[in-house]
Amino acid sequence: MTQMTMVKALNSGLNNAMERDDSIILLGEDVGTDGGVFRVTDGLLAKYGKERVMDTPLAELGIVGFGIGMSMAGLKAIPEIQFQDFIYTAMDQIINQMAKLRYRTNGDYTLPMVLRTPYGGGVHGGPYHSQSGEAYFTHTQGLTVVTPSNPYDAKGLLLSSIELNDPVIFLEPKRLYYAGRMEVPDDYYKIDLRKASVIKEGDALTIITYGPAVPLVKSTVEKNNVNAEIIDLRTLSPFDLDTIMASVKKTGKVLIVHESPKMFGVGAELSATISERAIDYLAAPILRVTGLDIPIPFALEDYYVPNEKRIMAAIEKLLKY
Amino acid sequence: MIEETDISKEGLLTAYKNIVMERLFDKKMLNASRQGFLPFYIPLMGHEAIHIGLGMAIRDEDFFYPYYRDFGVLLQMGIPIDTILSQVFATATDNEIGRDMPDHFSLKKYNIGAVITPVAGHLTSATGIAYAKKYRKQNGSVITTFGDGATSTPDFHVAMNFAGVYNLPMVFFVENNQFAISVPTYPTKDKAFSNTYEETRGAIYKKADAYGFSGIRIDGTNFIEVYRATRKALESAENQPILIEAMSYRMGPHSTADDPNKYRTTTVIEGGDKDPLVVSQKLLKDMKILTDKDISSINDEMEETTSQLIDKYEKAPKPDKSTMMGNLYEEEPWYISEERSDIQ
Repeated sequence: MTQMTMVKALNSGLNNAMERDDSIILLGEDVGTDGGVFRVTDGLLAKYGKERVMDTPLAELGIVGFGIGMSMAGLKAIPEIQFQDFIYTAMDQIINQMAKLRYRTNGDYTLPMVLRTPYGGGVHGGPYHSQSGEAYFTHTQGLTVVTPSNPYDAKGLLLSSIELNDPVIFLEPKRLYYAGRMEVPDDYYKIDLRKASVIKEGDALTIITYGPAVPLVKSTVEKNNVNAEIIDLRTLSPFDLDTIMASVKKTGKVLIVHESPKMFGVGAELSATISERAIDYLAAPILRVTGLDIPIPFALEDYYVPNEKRIMAAIEKLLKY
Repeated sequence: MIEETDISKEGLLTAYKNIVMERLFDKKMLNASRQGFLPFYIPLMGHEAIHIGLGMAIRDEDFFYPYYRDFGVLLQMGIPIDTILSQVFATATDNEIGRDMPDHFSLKKYNIGAVITPVAGHLTSATGIAYAKKYRKQNGSVITTFGDGATSTPDFHVAMNFAGVYNLPMVFFVENNQFAISVPTYPTKDKAFSNTYEETRGAIYKKADAYGFSGIRIDGTNFIEVYRATRKALESAENQPILIEAMSYRMGPHSTADDPNKYRTTTVIEGGDKDPLVVSQKLLKDMKILTDKDISSINDEMEETTSQLIDKYEKAPKPDKSTMMGNLYEEEPWYISEERSDIQ
């Protein structure tokens, strides 16, 4: 066990995986000599060489497409997109090749690869370094979309993603990269990708959240002594229906919190799914506290993302209902 | 697949038969689409010499990532005809169980990639496959084919750049049939061109220079030239990537949804001296390998073979609807299991 930040935990996970499997190749802009702009791949070039830790030309389309080819040919590519905001030139590859390959070939080709990218706010990056684009991926059939909320989960979920025989979009909340340290095993371990985590038990309401919003939800609930059950989804797609339904049936009230915009977002799908299956158990409307439905502004980012005040207002509304 | 450094008489005759076979299949499949047996079809006429030359050149140790107009390459490579036609006709025995459009083959066990519809969508994948070959120190090269239209895409330029930077065993092979649907590759004398623009001003084969390797232009109506140039390229690519631009002419429409009369005056006609079938006959007659009598008997033989096969696959059973939800993920998610009951 070592006290690790999320960046260190991810780095440790990559190192553990690369040590035991020489088919794993990292690639991306500045992942080699520079160790990645957030330092997730720091030190790996020196240990594994430039055949396995590859600096690439500046072309997201190429990074993803090249990785797909490697994985089609039996390697396991782990491409990094420097900021999720820049992934869109690769969306054709992600949607039309990566996500569909197993289905359209009926499994003739499978695609074990993990596409890592930092997302969300926290560094005052404005419209092009702060986006939360998870819904673009969760609405694409064939992708597994994972996002950790702490260093321990980050490493375990990453190692499980690397072992999966299907493509994973691994979204790393950049606001949590250096947000704190926790005890993380130095050795290899995995976390079930199809299981959400109940990080706090409670009876009065269920709060479903994930990734960058988890620590905020947790601190808000603790500070205000709310009797809430908090579910950290970990995997957004396919999400863990059983854990959600068990909690909803117990509490009868649901709040969904995420940093990305509300309209047509992950919260909308969760809300619809819960309504379809558990309307008789619900004692109040399902509420959402999310990012605002505008591009994320540079100077006023703190008002864009969910905060304690907005979360507490929603909680109070639900408790009084 | 021909293993000799050059070609035996039998090899040339087999190649010629496959050219004839591709031409006849093309006509019959176009017909099948008009009769409703195929909802969509991608015509091949004009590409036969390229396809058969490629099929001769590709070695067992090479990897081939085709695009959607490469039917004849598979014929010449010796892929079982049942595998090919069950894909084209989307039958129950298709290894993709009818999930993708005609000519969208996926044949991993033959070192063939999964054909993708979006133009040039496979070029970066092919380049990644070449990296895997190099990383694993495997023999052979990767060859990927695409149309002239593909050379306008970012995928083409990115894949070329990656191949150059990592010095990959890659052969980029452009089947230049002169048109991206209606837009001509280069300025033409065609009457319709006065009202449109070309795809590019720079010669395609020269674009390789910008990425640090060489490009060549060949005659895509001469299957022997295609074979020799491609085989040489597959060998030299183990040291440096290469771009080949093979010049041909798309004699048919782009697809069954296209009417070329709207945008061009056909300059290469079936049976004319630029038709690759006629060029092939002349080549082999000059080499004293083929006589007029052979031409006639091969045509009769292939006519019968292709008719019987098309008849069989037109009537072959389609996949059962119960198969359509499988193989999205290795482990099926709960909502896919639930949606199975929505298939009614």
